[in-house]
Amino acid sequence: MSSEYIALASDRILVTGSNGFIGTRVVEILLGYGYRNIRCFVRPSSRLDRLEKVLSQFDAGKDVALVTGDLLSPTDCRKAAEGVSVIYHLAAGMEKSFAGAFMNSALATRNLMDAFLRFAKPKRFVNVSSFAVYSNLALKRGALLDENCPLEDAPQERFDAYGFGKLKQEELVKEYGEVHNLPYVILRPGYVFGPGKRELNGRVGTSAFGLFVQVSGTQSLPLTYVDNCAEAIVLAGFKAGIDSEILNVVDDELLTGQQFLKAYKDKTKSFISVRIPYVVGYTMSLLWEKYCQRSKNQLPPAFNRRRCSAEWKGNRYSNQKLKERLGWKPRVPMERAMEAFLSQFTSNGNDDPLKR
Amino acid sequence: MLKIAIVGCGKVADQHVAAIHRIPECEIVSVCDWEPLMAKQLGQRFGIAGCFSDLKEMLEAVSPDIVHITTPPRSHYSLAKQCLESGSHVYLEKPFTVTASETESLIQLAQRRGLKITAGHNYLFTLEMLEMRRLVEKGFLGGRPIHLESYWSYDLGDLRYASAFLGNRNHWVRQLPGQLFHNIISHGIGKLAEFLDDELTEIIATAHQSEQLRSLGAQEVLDELRVMIRDNRGTTAFFCFSTQIRGLNQLRVYGPSGSVTADIITGSLVRNKSRSYKSYLTYFVPPLKSAHEYFRNARVNVANFLTRRLYQDFGMKELIERFYNSVRTGSPLPIPYREIILTARIMDEIFVQIYPGRSEMPEIGHQESGQAATVAVSSVA
Ligand SMILES: NC(=O)c1ccc[n+]([C@@H]2O[C@H](COP(=O)([O-])OP(=O)(O)OC[C@H]3O[C@@H](n4cnc5c(N)ncnc54)[C@H](OP(=O)(O)O)[C@@H]3O)[C@@H](O)[C@H]2O)c1
Repeated sequence: MSSEYIALASDRILVTGSNGFIGTRVVEILLGYGYRNIRCFVRPSSRLDRLEKVLSQFDAGKDVALVTGDLLSPTDCRKAAEGVSVIYHLAAGMEKSFAGAFMNSALATRNLMDAFLRFAKPKRFVNVSSFAVYSNLALKRGALLDENCPLEDAPQERFDAYGFGKLKQEELVKEYGEVHNLPYVILRPGYVFGPGKRELNGRVGTSAFGLFVQVSGTQSLPLTYVDNCAEAIVLAGFKAGIDSEILNVVDDELLTGQQFLKAYKDKTKSFISVRIPYVVGYTMSLLWEKYCQRSKNQLPPAFNRRRCSAEWKGNRYSNQKLKERLGWKPRVPMERAMEAFLSQFTSNGNDDPLKR
Repeated sequence: MLKIAIVGCGKVADQHVAAIHRIPECEIVSVCDWEPLMAKQLGQRFGIAGCFSDLKEMLEAVSPDIVHITTPPRSHYSLAKQCLESGSHVYLEKPFTVTASETESLIQLAQRRGLKITAGHNYLFTLEMLEMRRLVEKGFLGGRPIHLESYWSYDLGDLRYASAFLGNRNHWVRQLPGQLFHNIISHGIGKLAEFLDDELTEIIATAHQSEQLRSLGAQEVLDELRVMIRDNRGTTAFFCFSTQIRGLNQLRVYGPSGSVTADIITGSLVRNKSRSYKSYLTYFVPPLKSAHEYFRNARVNVANFLTRRLYQDFGMKELIERFYNSVRTGSPLPIPYREIILTARIMDEIFVQIYPGRSEMPEIGHQESGQAATVAVSSVA
């Protein structure tokens, strides 16, 4: 291991959310790099088929320890963190309720950081955050959205429980960095796609009243293929000299919403969608938002200007910092990534996003 | 201006905040959760200044008029007791308490202290339930109810929630005597309690595990429940809880000359007058009348939507508002205590029958399953 790296192959590594969409790939890449001392944290109720398949592909897979528990329990966090040097923290609250998302993103992270500081020798805490923390309200269409973009200051208005959880999670991580000297790195992936994730992201379009509506479509999507994203996450655990850094994760050769949806529809042949210009989407979001306010949320404020802006306004994205600081480059080029993503769908019409 | 506090800042608390915000002359002054971060996240999102992690401290600092308790059921009894003892009225989420004896003891405490307490049976106050109550009071049934049916279907489809408690024996739902049922059926049982006499002569409960649940690997959790109840006046009731039936959430009340069905899912109240028609008209007129009845419901719902009377959680807002009014003016409580107690007693008996050995034996008489159990409910109210 060169001085470029902070961790040794023998260091114990913890991966939370290890059975998840990205987590399994992180474990796979760690095993691929020859790390053997890996601890995977899962919940008693977690589905393990994906993770077990990955472990079975490597000889060292049998050395991987599965630790069962819930990060909401400090005792379980101790079981997870005891003796580890690096934590890849991918577990997150995907609930629709704000309290639920907060618990599994922010509270769980606080518990884990406490245990890491108390019962381990922390070298690096890799916190996997998300683009959902940004607010591009003040950015012009097409302007560059990088790590300096302002953060969302009204997640409640944006009606984004997940984003709220991630924002609060980041706040806590930064606080622990400052107050308790937690050595952390925050990664903010964009739209992570790949086999294992069948749903279309809201940035591509949204189901409204039984119709799949694409707003704008000309905007590029902050895509990152799951293997490329997992590679960035893994590197962030080992690279020296990046403490307290925040890094966006997006691939090269980004596609527009329209291109992405067309490829999806060509493969699945499953549904009809309509495309509306951004101004129309924005105006409808504004009207919806106003109606919700006037009617005291008779309708859920699912459409609003903040969300419209964040998902459909369209910005340019950069992975320059990621490349410079981590020496990362995408393992899989976009064309192959799309092939792999689409390979999970059949063309028998069963993949209509409206039916999910 | 009533000073309101909320204890327990999880998912349900958000619903309470939204409902309270629709009610005039009250203000949420503080929130409390044993986990300070949970209290803070709720307080921050709704601009509530008082965030506490110790109930005693909160009660002393803000002396709330009313405390909403939205914590997991096992803590209900002790938290409600603490609030009543310090002089606050209490809105206690469902299930009211874990056992009927705790229910009775809380109600007695409230009465001794001259305070009020209610249970979060908010589905008793949806628009169609209000309409049903009005019709029954007007005599639409043509006499006292002869038979009741309450259906509650529960979709396990969202396995994120289900797998959390199915895969984890320590999950709070699994710790309840009635497990999955315990956390949900009080809504459906509470609707029956309204029309049943306190003296029940028979409760026969039977439950099993569905194929779907078996495939998820939770051995001892049952998810299909049927209950037959008879009171001393001969009114019978049937309760059905199912995870297999989808989208069925109804109360049906049958009287000598008319019946009503309140359907929570479609927000409709279907009236049916027993009448006979000559010859073949019996095949033509009643279906047309039914069609008209459904059409009327659609019209009413559209009108209620446009006038903003129809919204999610109307029932909760209505129950809370009625409870606040009762506190303010001394008018009767929205849910009589006898109904809260009867609901708890029926639940106790059901759990003893379907999970023998799991729950503490409640005080009501219990015999071998299949035989009649005599249930005497003392009237506290
Ligand atoms: N997918 C994307 O497009 C995207 C984009 C940007 C950032 N991210 C971030 O990337 C990370 C992984 O996302 P993903 O797409 O792989 O999500 P995922 O498949 O839903 O995985 C989330 C994981 O978190 C676990 N988890 C949740 N609450 C937990 C708790 N209290 N204790 C222990 N484990 C808990 C889940 O366990 P169970 O399996 O038991 O539920 C699951 O393994 C997340 O932090 C997410 O915010 C994802």
